[in-house]
This record gives sequence, C-alpha cells and structure tokens, in this order.
Amino acid sequence: MNLPNYFLADLPPEAVLSPAMLAEACQTLKRNRECYLLSRSTESLIKVLSDVADGWLGSENKFRKLALELGPARAGFSRETLARGLDNFFKQITRENIHALLVQEFGDAKRLDAMTMTAAEQKQNRLAMVNTPEFQVHIAAGNIPNPALTSIVFGLLTRSAQFVKCASGASFLPRLFAHSIYEADGKLGACLEIAEWRGGNLALENALFAEADCVTATGSDETLDELRKRVPLRTRFLGHGHRVSFGFVAGEVLYGSRGKKIVASAADDVVAWNQLGCLSPHVIYVQPGGEIAPEHFAQLLAEELERREASEPRGELPAEHAAAIALRRNIYEVRAAHLPETTQHWCSKDSTAWTVIYEADVRFQLSCLNRFIYVKGVADLKTVLESADSVRGKVSTVGIAAPEEKTNEIATQLARWGATRICPLGQMQNPPLAWRHDGRPALGDLVRWTDLEQ
Amino acid sequence: MNQQLSSFAARLRESINAGFQNEDFDAFALELFALQFKNNFAYRNICQARKLSPEIVEHWSQIPAVPTAAFKELELTSLEAQERTAVFHSSGTTGQKPSRHFHNAESLAVYEASLWRWFEQNFFQNPKSKIQNPKLILLTPPPDLVPHSSLVHMFETVRQKFGGASVFASRTEFLGKLAADGSWTLDFEATLATLSDSSKSKTQNPKLIFGTAFSFVHLLDFLAENDLRFQLPENSRVMETGGYKNRSRSLPKSELHAFITERLGVPRENIICEYGMSELSSQAYDLEIQNPESRIQNRSFHFPPWARVQIISPETNQEVRDGETGLIRVFDLANVFSVAAIQTEDLGVRRGDGFELIGRAQMVEPRGCSLMTA
Repeated sequence: MNLPNYFLADLPPEAVLSPAMLAEACQTLKRNRECYLLSRSTESLIKVLSDVADGWLGSENKFRKLALELGPARAGFSRETLARGLDNFFKQITRENIHALLVQEFGDAKRLDAMTMTAAEQKQNRLAMVNTPEFQVHIAAGNIPNPALTSIVFGLLTRSAQFVKCASGASFLPRLFAHSIYEADGKLGACLEIAEWRGGNLALENALFAEADCVTATGSDETLDELRKRVPLRTRFLGHGHRVSFGFVAGEVLYGSRGKKIVASAADDVVAWNQLGCLSPHVIYVQPGGEIAPEHFAQLLAEELERREASEPRGELPAEHAAAIALRRNIYEVRAAHLPETTQHWCSKDSTAWTVIYEADVRFQLSCLNRFIYVKGVADLKTVLESADSVRGKVSTVGIAAPEEKTNEIATQLARWGATRICPLGQMQNPPLAWRHDGRPALGDLVRWTDLEQ
Repeated sequence: MNQQLSSFAARLRESINAGFQNEDFDAFALELFALQFKNNFAYRNICQARKLSPEIVEHWSQIPAVPTAAFKELELTSLEAQERTAVFHSSGTTGQKPSRHFHNAESLAVYEASLWRWFEQNFFQNPKSKIQNPKLILLTPPPDLVPHSSLVHMFETVRQKFGGASVFASRTEFLGKLAADGSWTLDFEATLATLSDSSKSKTQNPKLIFGTAFSFVHLLDFLAENDLRFQLPENSRVMETGGYKNRSRSLPKSELHAFITERLGVPRENIICEYGMSELSSQAYDLEIQNPESRIQNRSFHFPPWARVQIISPETNQEVRDGETGLIRVFDLANVFSVAAIQTEDLGVRRGDGFELIGRAQMVEPRGCSLMTA
C-alpha cells in the first residue's frame, strides 16, 4: 500500500512503539490542534468532512479502491460486503445530517463557535456555547470499523486532537480514512493519530491516558472495566460495552410480496458486516399467523442467504471462527435428528458461509455470528421480552417489521423494557449519524457547556 | 447384554494385547459401525439424518462422527440402563451439563486394555531407559472421591498395573483432594513430603508424576512461593494433560514445561503430554518418550493403532492437508459400547498421521431443550 508515512499505523510492522514516542505524538497533536483546529469554524469542518465522505462514495476514489482491493485480506470482509458497509456509512456523512446532529445535540448548529440561543432560551434571556476536550483518545474494538470512523468524525467536529488506538489487526480502514482526511486537509490530518497494538499494553496505554481529557472506548464489559480503572479521575471516560440485538416480525405483515421483502430485509441485517457489530441480530423472532409461518420464514431466509452468498460473499474465516460455526451446526444437526419438530437447520453446502437455525425454544440465543442466525416463533412481543430477559439491559437495537399503526406501541413497549434503538428490519446496521449510541447523546457526553445569563 | 458387541469387545481386547495390526483397522471399524448402528438408538438416529448406514459406508473414514456435545444431551450407548455400572463425565464448567460416557465391566476392560498398552509402549518400550520400580505421584484426587473421572480411572489402572494395592495405600499416591466447592486441589504437605523423599538421592527409583496442567500450576506456584526446587532422580517422568478450565492461571505449554524443569528437575524430553477425554477410550501421547532424538520443538500427538485421527476442515468437512488446521476427529475402536467416531471441539494441525494440538475452539455452548431420552 503506497501511502505516505503520516501515522504511527503507517510504520512497518516490525516498528516498536514506546511510551516516549506516544507522549511526543500526544504533544504534537495538541500543538497542531492549537495552531490549526481550534480556530476553525464548524462550517468549514463540516465541509471537509462531507467532501471527504462524498469522495469515498465515488468508484474512482483512491482510498475506496484501496479499501476494496486490500480489505478482504486486511479487514476480513469480502469486497462486496465492504463496499456495501462503507457506502452505507459514508452516505450518512452529509452537510444536512451533520447540521441535524448539531441541532439535536446542542439546539443550535453554531454552539461550537459562539454564544448562541434557541427560541426557548431567548425567552429566558440566556445564551450558551459548548467547549470541547482538547485531546480525545479512542480505544476502538476490532469487530467492525464504523465506531472508530464515527469517533474520528465526531472528534474533528468537536475540534479535539485525537489518538485512535485500534485493536490488533484492525487499523486498516481507520488508517485509510485518516489518510483521506489528511489529503483533503493536511492541517486537520495533523490533529489525528492512528496506531495499532494488542490491547492491555499498560505502558503504552497509560502514556496515552496521562495526556487525554476524554477517553472513549468500545469493547467487552471486562475490557471497559479494566480501562476505566486506569483512566485518571480528571479524565472523562465514555465506555460502550458489548451489546446484542434482535429482530421482531409481526405475523400481520407476512403476506405476499411484503412478506418476501421482509425476509430480504432480515437477510440484509445478517449479511451487513457479516453480522459482527453490536447492532446485528442474533435472533429473528417471528410471530405466527401470517402467510409465512416461522419455520417457513427460516427456510426462506436460508434461500435468501444462499443468493446473497453469490452476490455478497461472506469471505474466508480463520479456522477457529469457522470451527465455532461447524461445532454449533453439529449440535443442531444432532437435535434436529432427534426432535425435528422443535429444531431445524439450513446450512450452506461445503462451507460455513451461512446458517439458519429454527428453534421452537423461544429463549434468546447468542449466535456465533459470521452469518449464523436463529429464527424463533413467538406468540407476541411480550413473549419476546420474557424470552430475552437474560440479555435485558444489554440490548442495543431491535429491528422490527410490523403494521405501521402498531409501530409506536411496539416501540414504547421495547423502550420501557430497555432497548435503546428501534428501527425497521433491514436497517439494523445502518444507524443515522445522529443516533444515540447505547441511548446516550451522540456528542453531548463529550462536551462542557458554558451558560451566559443576561 | 448384546452378544455381538461382547464378542467384538473380547476380540478387540485380544488384538490390542497381542499387538494390534494396522491392516485390521478398517474391517474392525466397519463391523463395529454396523453393530453400533444396530444397537445404539441415539447414534442410529444421527446416522439416518445424514442418510448413512452400514450398507452405504465402505471405509472407516466415512463413518458418521458424533460431536462430543451430543454426549451431554443423548444417551449414546448400547448398554441398557440396568447394565451400566460406571459413567464418566466431562469436566465442564460448573452449571453446564457434563458429557456422560456409560460403561460396564466389559467396556471398562476394553478401556483398561487400551490405555495400558499405549501407555506402556510410550513410556517403557525403550530398553535404554528402562524404568525400574518407579514411584507414582498422582496429582489428582483418588478414584473413590471422583468416580466419574475417566482420567483418574486411567491413573488408577496404571497404579494397579504397577502393583499398587489397596485403596488405603492409594492415599499415599493420589495427592489431590477435593475443595469445598468440588474443585480439585492438592494436599501440598503430602506432595512436599513425597517430593522431598524422592529427591534425597540420585540412586533412588525414578518417579512418575501425572497430573492435569492446572494441578501442575498449583504445585509449581506453591513451590515457587516457598522457594523450593527439587531434582528428581534420573529417568523420572512427567505426564501432563488437559487444559486449565479456569482452575488456575493458564500458561503456554512451553512455559509450563520450562517451569516443570526448573522446579522439579525433569528435563523437557522426559515431559510427555497426553490428549484424552471422557468420551474416548484411547489416548494420544505427544512423543514416544524413549526416543530422545525426536524433535522436541514440534512433537506431535499419536493415538494407538486401534484409534485413528483425522483433522477436519470446519469449512468443507473434509480432511485437511498436511500442515493445515482443523477440528480433531477420532475413530476409537475401543469405544465399543458407545460410539467409535467422535468429533471433538479441539483444533489441531495435521502432522503426518499425527497432529499438533492447538486447543479448544472458542465456543459458547448453545442452550436449549434437553434431549435426555432416559
């Protein structure tokens, strides 16, 4: 990959990072922020970000081409899966969407630039502006790139110097994105650092934490607990722990062509990023009563996944991940042989590319992912919530397919139960830019407000 | 009791004791498959779902393998409920259903013949390093405390072959005990006494120390904390088996072995690894220990001639090529009354007719309805 040496992640693999190198990098980032970023208007930052994102959507964009060409080997997704995932991500980064995000978070898109007021504040004779952390450190998980890319966008938007620490083997896409920013605006690129090492390197991480004003982290709950203990008290820590998601399909919509489209939407969610994100479904709950019974839904989903494998292949897996799928399949094969009325399975032939398991047992089941999906028949939403009690409080997204007039009622029930995002089935891995990750404000947790009373 | 299976068991035992001939394997395997298909209801169901039967299968490698997880959900046995006199459980984590491998006197006799013959060949075949009257140090609890451990049954069998006598006497050889929560720990005082006794003089009889990886970690950590080192008599050997199962800190194999050498004075070439499980009746060892010329860095596991291994690609379900990684599948003729073809959850690299062990494929076991047929 012929890219200039701008970031630590550009160093050859044999290069060894030291705490002193990181401390120096942090100082440089802060200095560059002071010189280049702090005085930039929000409008100018929005322009750079939306232009860069727009660039990534063009088929001739060199960063996109590199991502698709080298991604299968470096990031573990097929070219087609990557293309779809990147398109869906970059389509969100538009001027309008960033504006909407700022208004949602701060009431006014100019809050980052000056003292401003909303209509309600005007009545009270109040103004306010937001200040942002000088230096953000992101500890990014390795499963899918979107959270790291979003952090970079939000960090630039909030005018922070940023250090993105990627999981081992996961810096490829964040690094390409950083290069695309550098190319568009070298001064912004100089406020960003990308590096990669295996998590748990205390010397390196502590060197970073000592400099940070805000640390964001995604990872398992254990990882977050561990990190939280090491981040100094004065430093803000924003952790996003492991979450799971599921789908719910109401019987009333499983008719005719709409039913088939819903099956295709479920396949979209299983295929997107090979089901590896926290927003990807482990289980699709299907209510009987429609033209397509739950078992039949499972079979149709299997047929759809088979077609997708031709157009958007899953790609190769390391032996241990393929083994996890093969071993799971073995268990369901045994169960299906003994109790075919309660367990059925559909598997890609001569590969682990996709698997559908139908189970009469309604209990929520964690999938081994990589396009391994459970379909379970349930009488109603109440049964879904009871069956998913084991993951209550850990659920991010519920993708639903239901009659329009019932959506609100279903969403309210899910919200009271604890789900933080409800979206149409088929959109589970495509949250809007302004979505509230784990139910928290998108930018609000990063900033500090200053109120002016007149 | 099924006469055909009994007669098969007797013939197999005879063959094992007489020196099993490789060329007999396929005939034994196909005969056993037919008997198990006929007499093992749960197994037959699985075969039929795969549309395989003795009429179709032509070679041992086509015999349908059963995942070890199925031993948790099904009664994979040809023994009637009233015939079962022993059952070996897998050592899963607490709260999980264990595997159940049922036995009676005949099937235990096959197990014992199998384990002893291969143990003997791996430990004592070379006259150059003949071990005279070795002293056993077993780092597990004794069989009466853990009747469902196939590993401890194996140690007890070996102990008796060495002339071990009463259960009372066994207390001086089995140095493990049970903690309040049922987990295995060591009687450190007794272990220390045994080790001290054994290291007094180099002219003493060699020692054989057998235990699980975690029991060695318990012992070695204890020795390190107390700054104790032993130099066991020449020709002493260590047999280490199994994983850590969260019962101690985990060490990479090379570190564990270096630790053993450091604290017990047993050189690497006299440390042998065993690969076995409750669902099998034969074990694999990672070296014919009597051959010091073996490449120690890349030792591979071998089962006895009456058990064969295949390394299976999880993607294609076909055997991988030499040097490639896959899931370990074992065809163990000594599993006469259960199922001979076992699909393990372990990953290994194919090395000739043996394998290098990588370890358990990460897997969270799916929960679900119980398929207990009893």
